[in-house]
Amino acid sequence: MRNKSFKKSWLFLLFALLLLVLAACSGNTTTEEPPKDTETSSEEGTTEGEGTSSGISGDLEIQYFVGGYGDAWWKEVIADFKAAYPDVNIIEHAGPNINTEMNTRWISNDPPDVVYIDGNGSSETQMIADGQLMDISEWAKGITMENGTPLLDSFISPAEELDGGKIYSLPLVFDTWGMWYDSAWFDEKGWKVPTDFDSWLASMKQIKEEAGIAPFVTTGQYPQYFQRGVLNPAFAAAGGEQLLNDLANGVVEAWEGEEVLQVMKKVEKIVEEGLVDTGFAAYNHTQSQMNLLLHQNAYIPVGFWLPNEMKKDTPESLVYGFVPTPMNDSGKSMALIPDIRTVAIAKEADNPEAAKAFLEFIFTETYAQKFAESTGAIMNLKNVDLSSNDRVPEFLKGINDMINSPGQIQIHNRNTPEGQEEQDIAVEMTNEIKLQIVEILIGNITAEEFVERMTNKAKELRGQ
Amino acid sequence: MGVVQSKRQKYLFLAFCLLPTFIVFCLFTVYPMVGGVYYSFFDWSGTSSVMKFIGLDNYKRIFSDSVIPKAIFNDYFFVFVKVIGIMVLSLFFAVALTQLRIKEAPFYRIVFFFPNIMSVVVIGILWQFIYDPNIGLLNGLFRAIGLEAWARPWLGDMTWALPSIAIPAIWAGIGLFMLLLMGGISNIPKSLYEAADIDGASEWQQFWKITVPLIWPQIKTSILYIIITSLNGSFVLVQVMTAGGPGIATEVLGSYLYQRAFEDFKFGYGAAIGVVILVLSLATVLIFQFLLKKEKVEY
Repeated sequence: MRNKSFKKSWLFLLFALLLLVLAACSGNTTTEEPPKDTETSSEEGTTEGEGTSSGISGDLEIQYFVGGYGDAWWKEVIADFKAAYPDVNIIEHAGPNINTEMNTRWISNDPPDVVYIDGNGSSETQMIADGQLMDISEWAKGITMENGTPLLDSFISPAEELDGGKIYSLPLVFDTWGMWYDSAWFDEKGWKVPTDFDSWLASMKQIKEEAGIAPFVTTGQYPQYFQRGVLNPAFAAAGGEQLLNDLANGVVEAWEGEEVLQVMKKVEKIVEEGLVDTGFAAYNHTQSQMNLLLHQNAYIPVGFWLPNEMKKDTPESLVYGFVPTPMNDSGKSMALIPDIRTVAIAKEADNPEAAKAFLEFIFTETYAQKFAESTGAIMNLKNVDLSSNDRVPEFLKGINDMINSPGQIQIHNRNTPEGQEEQDIAVEMTNEIKLQIVEILIGNITAEEFVERMTNKAKELRGQ
Repeated sequence: MGVVQSKRQKYLFLAFCLLPTFIVFCLFTVYPMVGGVYYSFFDWSGTSSVMKFIGLDNYKRIFSDSVIPKAIFNDYFFVFVKVIGIMVLSLFFAVALTQLRIKEAPFYRIVFFFPNIMSVVVIGILWQFIYDPNIGLLNGLFRAIGLEAWARPWLGDMTWALPSIAIPAIWAGIGLFMLLLMGGISNIPKSLYEAADIDGASEWQQFWKITVPLIWPQIKTSILYIIITSLNGSFVLVQVMTAGGPGIATEVLGSYLYQRAFEDFKFGYGAAIGVVILVLSLATVLIFQFLLKKEKVEY
């Protein structure tokens, strides 16, 4: 008898353990963060003049990456939206790793309604190729700003049209790459801010002599910083938007042309004069940026998020200065290549009406002002007057002025290639250029060799 | 009847002990491995439900991919350097701590084992700072003793980046194998050494003729373990310290897999690289099992 009960209790324990293991390993049912801010219809909805639209209700899931721009702007906008649409229950999915965290939802075709496409692990091109984003062309054409102008005409950088005129996302953030420096340090030393390649070279030589440092640094671990921060503006300044896109897309004739060689010879000059920090190849992005803060270097190519990203480490005395990368020839205008971060609605969104209401809600002058204040970048809206706003950093006001009064700088857009094959070629070209950038900046290859290797890669990818 | 029951009880008890672990093993080891092989036959971004069957295309691409040979070379560089470095040093420390009668032996045991407790990511970041061209300990040391010319951007130099990563890899691995070998050495009867002393054998001869043969199983296990963990684990240190750079100077199969799968959104291709790692690991281990085969020695 004792044996039987002994056996039974072991069996029971075994069974319980099995159940436990199975339960632990069963599919993730609730991986989302618990709904934040679950205030519902007790709020009065009177702000922002939107009023409570009938029919906009239910759950609205918003996924947004939190990186160099922080999340203060998002929190404020979402709070205002909730006040305006009290019947909507907003569920936020946010964080620095949000794209990886939400990946399984996208794979299982149960995505959030609104997604802000930015950060590690996100690719708008891939999302469009996989058919994950809603075609909002018709709806977007009907949106107007407060003053009556159509939204699509109010963008600095236009909404991209793919697959024959379809719009899959709205361009929210106008970020761009350029050359950063400490303007307070420059003022103190009497160094002038360059406007073209010759003056930039002269400035760097002067800094090297007077301060005894290598004036230029970039992150060698992420050569795309140099690609986007120096090469792309240089290509655009030399040959316009066509050249920029042709080179990136591996068009062989573009790589065989004179312009690209001239640009690479400028890079070669910078290396030959010993102006590049010899340790650059080891640095990641934060290390190279720290070097700027510590005055180990003077110029670094980054995007607008730099001040926010380095907020905690920036010394009191440092004032961020920004200039579009001066790779242009004298007399030619400087080039800015926008790095647009978009916001989109998922094709499988559960609540597309609320999603559309949210997108319409955020594109206003007020939120553009707040965006400039809290993120260090500007919202992609034209003619927003930031000059009288004290909370906007100086460099941003400067850039905003430059953008809205064309002539000083030219904006050239990097367009998404159409079709899987073209996109794959562009990815491979980027991978190859990243390797060659490190080679030329270390001093292992010449400008001619750089161009030859890239041309060969383009030929290989195009099957020539 | 009593005997039959106790046999059944015995098997039930065995099942009770083995089954949960077996289930976990199947779920977390076998299933992902099979899944990896499965995905390698597809063109999949890894971020959506769109998967296109492409058969062996990913594998064909691997054969024409110029990064793969360099990555394989770097992987085996690590294997080679780690096996030699770790085995030599851990054998030395094991013998030193067991046979040279050092008073502070327990203290050294703990100190040498310490890196094994540290997370590999922490080790990677720590050594990044040591190698920093401007504020790093290594260059600082060279400059302080007048060897300015030796100071260089270690992780940013195409020739030196790979050996620079190998050093923390060895440093972090010594402790575990030292303990393993110490365990083996402590099982060798002291009488053997005393007899050898009487016969006039030197310390060196004693090492080669007594110690090494008698702890050969432990040595063999250590070498195989180092090989396996190297081929699969180099990824962490490389990814943290250089992300495979400069260029592809320190790229290993693991870091290249990561780049392809998670940065280029070519999950199927990454899975195919994973299968290559699996095949190479199996082949290498089998070869070394054969090479290291030796009859267990007993005196």
